[in-house]
Amino acid sequence: MRSESPRGPRGRYRAHRGAIAPVAAVAALIVMASGCGGGDDGTVELRFSWWGPDGRHQITQEVIDLFEEKHPEITIEGDYTDWDSYWDRLATSSSANDAPDVIQHDEQYLRDYAGRDALLNLDEYSDQLDVSEVDELVRGTGELEGGRYAVPSGVNAFVIIADPQAFEEAGVEMPDDSSWTWQDYVDIAAEVSEESDGELVGAQNNSFNTAGFEIFARQNGESLYTEDGELGFSPSTMERWWDYTVQLQEEDAEPSPAESIERDADGPDRSVLATNDGAMAGFWTNQVGDLANTADRELEILRFPGETEFENPGTFFKPAMHWTVSADTEHPEEAATFVDFLVNDPEAAELMLADRGIPVNTGVREQIYDDLPEADAKGADFLSEIEDDVLPADPPPPQGAGEVVDIVKRINEDVLYGENTPEEAANRFVEEAEAAIED
Amino acid sequence: MTATLRRAESPTPRTAPPAPRARGLSLKRRDALAAYGFLTPWFLGLFFITIGPILASLYFSFTDYSLLGDPQWVGLDNYREMIGDPRLHSSLLVTFQYVFVSVPLQLGLALALAMILDRGVRGLPLYRSVYYLPSLLGASVAIAVLWRQIFGANGLINQVLGYFGIEGAGWVSHPDYALGTLIVLNVWTFGAPMVIFLAGLRQIPAMYYEAASVDGAGPVRRFFSVTIPLLTPIIFFNLVLQMINAFQTFTQAFIVSSGSGGPSDSTLFYTLYLYQQGFGSFEMGYASALAWLLLVVIGAFTVLNFVAARYWVFYGD
Repeated sequence: MRSESPRGPRGRYRAHRGAIAPVAAVAALIVMASGCGGGDDGTVELRFSWWGPDGRHQITQEVIDLFEEKHPEITIEGDYTDWDSYWDRLATSSSANDAPDVIQHDEQYLRDYAGRDALLNLDEYSDQLDVSEVDELVRGTGELEGGRYAVPSGVNAFVIIADPQAFEEAGVEMPDDSSWTWQDYVDIAAEVSEESDGELVGAQNNSFNTAGFEIFARQNGESLYTEDGELGFSPSTMERWWDYTVQLQEEDAEPSPAESIERDADGPDRSVLATNDGAMAGFWTNQVGDLANTADRELEILRFPGETEFENPGTFFKPAMHWTVSADTEHPEEAATFVDFLVNDPEAAELMLADRGIPVNTGVREQIYDDLPEADAKGADFLSEIEDDVLPADPPPPQGAGEVVDIVKRINEDVLYGENTPEEAANRFVEEAEAAIED
Repeated sequence: MTATLRRAESPTPRTAPPAPRARGLSLKRRDALAAYGFLTPWFLGLFFITIGPILASLYFSFTDYSLLGDPQWVGLDNYREMIGDPRLHSSLLVTFQYVFVSVPLQLGLALALAMILDRGVRGLPLYRSVYYLPSLLGASVAIAVLWRQIFGANGLINQVLGYFGIEGAGWVSHPDYALGTLIVLNVWTFGAPMVIFLAGLRQIPAMYYEAASVDGAGPVRRFFSVTIPLLTPIIFFNLVLQMINAFQTFTQAFIVSSGSGGPSDSTLFYTLYLYQQGFGSFEMGYASALAWLLLVVIGAFTVLNFVAARYWVFYGD
């Protein structure tokens, strides 16, 4: 068995080499794995991450190709996924100091990252990144204490999207969104369900997220969060809001609790509008294009109910997404150049159109207007139509707002199943949300 | 590792004359070195991917660690916080329900199927593979997604029920049923214990059955007096293994509830809550403490199992 081994010192040397070879191989592998991604030929490589549906991935790749054409010294590697896994991935890669250089961000998580010094202060790169043409209504949304950490990608508003064909099938008249109240909304939705003999539902449940409530709170002269990052509403306001949810359920104006929960979890592509099973649902204006495609119908954008019912109109412009740069990036200038391209380049905007909200650069917005597909043009028209009525957006939500996303979902499930009364739900929300944003 | 190396080295000083005996030892040493060389990748994995993170999580469990910032030492605060955390308590309850209902059901089904297959079915390897398949697939994302569709409010199950005029519930979206659906999913992955039971059944000498028959024992008596006692070591093995597995269930609950543990926290498994704390709320310190509590719980139940085993497991001596 050992007879093939040569004798003497040479033999010993051989044995050592035999032992060392696999070690060396492993070491080489490790070196190789950590060494790749460098630009030996003078080019800079950036990683750029975003979330979105398939359509957005294709468009964004085209935008990247265009950028690389114009900036041959920079190459961009796309890193994309859907919304849910995006945040897990970003959190883990950030904690491992391996965050992408340019990051598509959301308002709800912005302070979580900026507050923990994970994002770059873009004020220091104003040579590369020009924000002077960004729409004033949302320009402030990327400014947190001490600097600009984000640039909005586009403007959005939370609206009721309605399917006129569904209204017609049910034999119910489309609501007049200039004056409708919340009670009208409940009644009309119930009427659609009833008149269509249960073939259609009036509306998809809209209380899984805080956007609708934010509008309701603003209508009542309150807000979801205050400037100081605390809760800005009274529990009784929220109780009234959940009261409408209960009414909608009682009158079968919405799908059953089980179906509501599943439709919410399955996203816009499985919403009652997309599957032609309902007449109304709350969505963001940049989603109307995709919805209309999936539904294969013409959809209408309506203002939220209650805009004239209380103190103020509540609809607000929200930055659809934010562009941010990681504080750990090795190439801040190049990253800022890419963000500038995303925000200000007309050709890039022609590719992206309204997919990430109506462009924030007002000049670019004018230029691409004629190229917008019909549904998106409706969104743009809607936004300019309500522009004069809209009060400035609330400040970015506080740290911990990402957790509130889950809290409101949980409580809403209990409201739908009758486990919590609206009053209990409101108190529970206040208690849990306060704990989340105080951490 | 180093200790062993040194021990192998010490009897042969480097300057030792090449006596035949010493040469033999040096060969031994060479073999040992080569062995450790080839084991290096595994050792690297053990230290950097297993032991390192385990120790790191022990340290993090005593800190306030937001994942993005630096950990701050807080002593036992995380463990104290657990006492007053209602979601933790409900997640423990959900997990215990899951473990104590699904594991016995799964083992029972596995044993029943193994008994049937053991009677000499034609095409046994095929059946064995077919029934084993769910064990391989059960914890996968694809199957969880599929189950979500099948058990959805408008899913296959409810459509079939609809033909019979029965209105099905939201099997994955009603708090009363969602956990049950996940238990069914786990029971369905009975293949792994079944294959082990099958091997165990094959080990029981036929002469016991013959002797029992001669003594007039019927099939039921034979099952309880011959099969079960001789199978207890296998049952015990499966029980320990499946219990540990069930405590760590994550994927199914994560996919079926879209990561929320809903509806109304009815499928908030312990590991899912841990995950939410760590990656949703950026409370990695608390999440690490939760992981250590889970280790203690699993350890306690395993010890309990071994202690109880003295009274019911029969090793045939």
